[in-house]
Amino acid sequence: MRIEAYKRKFDDSVLVEATGKWLGVNEFQKEFWTGASSENSWLSASAPTASGKTFLVLQWLLDRLITTDTSVVVYLAPTRALVTEIEASLNDLLADDKTINVTSLPLAEKYLSAAAGVTKTIFVFTQERLHLLANILSDELSVDLLIVDEAHKIGDNQRGVILQDAIERISRSNHKMKAVFVSPSTQNPDELLQDAPIGTDRVSVDSDIPTVLQNVILAQQVPRKPKEWALGLVSGDSSIPIGVLQLANKPAGLRKRLAFIAAAAGARGGTLIYCNGAAEAEEIALLISQLDIREKTDDKELLDLADLARKGVHRSYQLAPLVERGVAFHYGNMPALIRVEIERLFRIGKIRFLACTSTLIEGVNLSCRTIVVRGPRKGRGNPMEPHDFWNLAGRAGRWGNEFQGNIICIDPNDESAWPIGVPKRSRYPIQRETDAVMTSKDGLVEYLDGRDIESLSDLEGAEHYEQVGAYLLDTYLRLGSLANAGLAKRHDSKLLEKLDACLERMARKIDIPAELSIRHPGVSAIGLQRLLDLFKNYEGDVENLLPAPSESVDAYDRYVTVMRRINSSIFPVFLPDGLVPLHALIVVEWLKGLSLAVIIRKRIEYHQRNNKTFKLAVLIRDTMDIVEQTARFKAPKYISAYMDILHMHLLEIKRDDLIDEDFDIGVALEFGVSSTTLLSLMELGLSRMTAVALYEKISKDDLSRDGCVRWITDHAPNFEGMDLPNIIVREVLERVRPPRSLQEQFTD
Amino acid sequence: MPAKPVKIGSLYFKKKGDAAHYLREMLYKYDLGDKVSKDDSTILRDLILMHPECEEKTGSGIESFSVRSADFGTRCFWVNRTDGTTEKFSVGACY
Repeated sequence: MRIEAYKRKFDDSVLVEATGKWLGVNEFQKEFWTGASSENSWLSASAPTASGKTFLVLQWLLDRLITTDTSVVVYLAPTRALVTEIEASLNDLLADDKTINVTSLPLAEKYLSAAAGVTKTIFVFTQERLHLLANILSDELSVDLLIVDEAHKIGDNQRGVILQDAIERISRSNHKMKAVFVSPSTQNPDELLQDAPIGTDRVSVDSDIPTVLQNVILAQQVPRKPKEWALGLVSGDSSIPIGVLQLANKPAGLRKRLAFIAAAAGARGGTLIYCNGAAEAEEIALLISQLDIREKTDDKELLDLADLARKGVHRSYQLAPLVERGVAFHYGNMPALIRVEIERLFRIGKIRFLACTSTLIEGVNLSCRTIVVRGPRKGRGNPMEPHDFWNLAGRAGRWGNEFQGNIICIDPNDESAWPIGVPKRSRYPIQRETDAVMTSKDGLVEYLDGRDIESLSDLEGAEHYEQVGAYLLDTYLRLGSLANAGLAKRHDSKLLEKLDACLERMARKIDIPAELSIRHPGVSAIGLQRLLDLFKNYEGDVENLLPAPSESVDAYDRYVTVMRRINSSIFPVFLPDGLVPLHALIVVEWLKGLSLAVIIRKRIEYHQRNNKTFKLAVLIRDTMDIVEQTARFKAPKYISAYMDILHMHLLEIKRDDLIDEDFDIGVALEFGVSSTTLLSLMELGLSRMTAVALYEKISKDDLSRDGCVRWITDHAPNFEGMDLPNIIVREVLERVRPPRSLQEQFTD
Repeated sequence: MPAKPVKIGSLYFKKKGDAAHYLREMLYKYDLGDKVSKDDSTILRDLILMHPECEEKTGSGIESFSVRSADFGTRCFWVNRTDGTTEKFSVGACY
């Protein structure tokens, strides 16, 4: 009996070599551990959402780092939200282990130290940040181990191409790199292994067994009784009646319907309400907050979050009063510090209702007890695909100690809400966006032939073809023919010949070296060439082509012009033209290191000064959107390409005296920093919100990391008097860890 | 009433409208944020001397001129002073 029990234990466990302890695992987890640990292999693992994949991967990763000579690891996550989460999880797992570094900043010095074997480092990046690091190191980047989380996102129509490009780029610079891909319930995880270097073992690990039970419950109004909703549990192709939900008020309108049913069915807490967009999430959270008769909370953590929302965004930001009633909303453009705290308080049950958007299925690991949903859309208006629905539904269950969850689908027979009905359980088909566009879209060749059109605003089909077109052109410039690329094995040779001929015509017009254009994935080389031509033909003072530093009085005007040059030469990015000044203004303010609260306040003052009417909630959301989408995504992508081409031109005309080598606009925009002190604070692992709040109190703008730690240690005793939100103080103390006596003073 | 001629340095315009047209063309040949060329700067130096608040506008002295935005989505010339400060000025006020 005892031997049998031991055998079972060994069968169900893996040895964590770093600690010598056995870790209890299920069959999928064991296969993953064994497969991933084999040398010289690429592995692709797929398992349902919330099956503990991430935890397992992180455990395995740390074991691998400790027990082998792996020292440079890149962990790719598709969103900044997930980057923040993974970075925090790794730091928690590592606790006080100082031998392994975790960072989400693309810093050359950290890479060089890891490559030299001084410290082992895990870079947790989005695909864009990986490109930034490769650019900073001029592709002298050798990664030992690459982990790609949510790897099915290689099929996303914009950033999927950038992801594929990033994987290929670093795999080219180290053929011995080990790669691990992780995705939720996919049909074909092995697809991701197709481009593994020759001689590499390819291991695919697949599980379709959900580790928790998910009950799909249909909610339909009882005829003639709008306050009564019949619930039915889906079983096979039919549903079993399980009772009637009694609403307290008449749910006039669809939003009230969603809110009231959520409030009635999810009163125990742990309830997620899926909303189509940030505005709807705010409205539904407001409705739910009124249905609960509980008094305003006196819970300190909730009050601290409300305080942060007021100070970090705006004193009337709707989140604050809602949080005080245990209700919140959650969307992607929110500042990370606030979003992460919302997730934490939801996990521990203090926030009972959370109205969320598709950010959640874009990669935030958040489990719940109940999900309430009606007519889910993904992004702007597209009905949710079955695999996305099940990625969302998979989050129900694993709430605390529970192992089952409910998904309540409202109006299941309403075709406008559910065009294909409530989707059946389904798995993602993985397909690279490049392959999808090449095989299914007929207009690609035509688009590429017309890409060099006189007026770029007349370009048609760009939303389908621009990214993939840019990728193919770079591939052609690099290899001389698509037939030499990894993608060739997946496509018909006739199509490749046709594309080659078309790309050849484009390449004839291009004298930009391939090494330069591959630094800017998704930015078409033909657009870069047109910009170079514009520079060459520029008759004015060449200094006028340079953007000004953000502190300079002419910074705003120069960014307006730079953005317009990008629109007319590279690609129409900053649209509509009338909003270019607003985008330029926010980019400059972001670069100056202004806080979101100040950027919002200045916009409000502008409206008031000019007697322009505005809706506060819309203005706040709109500003967050411009910060995230323009200042942190489009501007770094295109303005850094502009700068690279300008540098090339300045070198050619022997005006390299105008180049500032120390300033990387891509990094400055991605992080929204202008001073050494601010960047040092972020290098310590602080969120931008915290870094900016501290920087407002620090006089010196040139402090190193050590200088910042000294400042924090010296001033921590006075934090209370500085009117800093408690969550900001807590983050500083957690990340920087001044002497214990000080920490205790704040955590008591 | 006969049109009043305008003289800016060595430039001569039969009427105000001609001067305004010439300066407007100059203003719009630049992109926002551009520094004005040497030749145009010479004209603007002569022009700003004719501004009723010339001393306040030029302050510590003229370093250069720029084209930058003004209120309500318009643009105008700015004088960049030697002490690093900057001030916009209306060409219409000069003649």
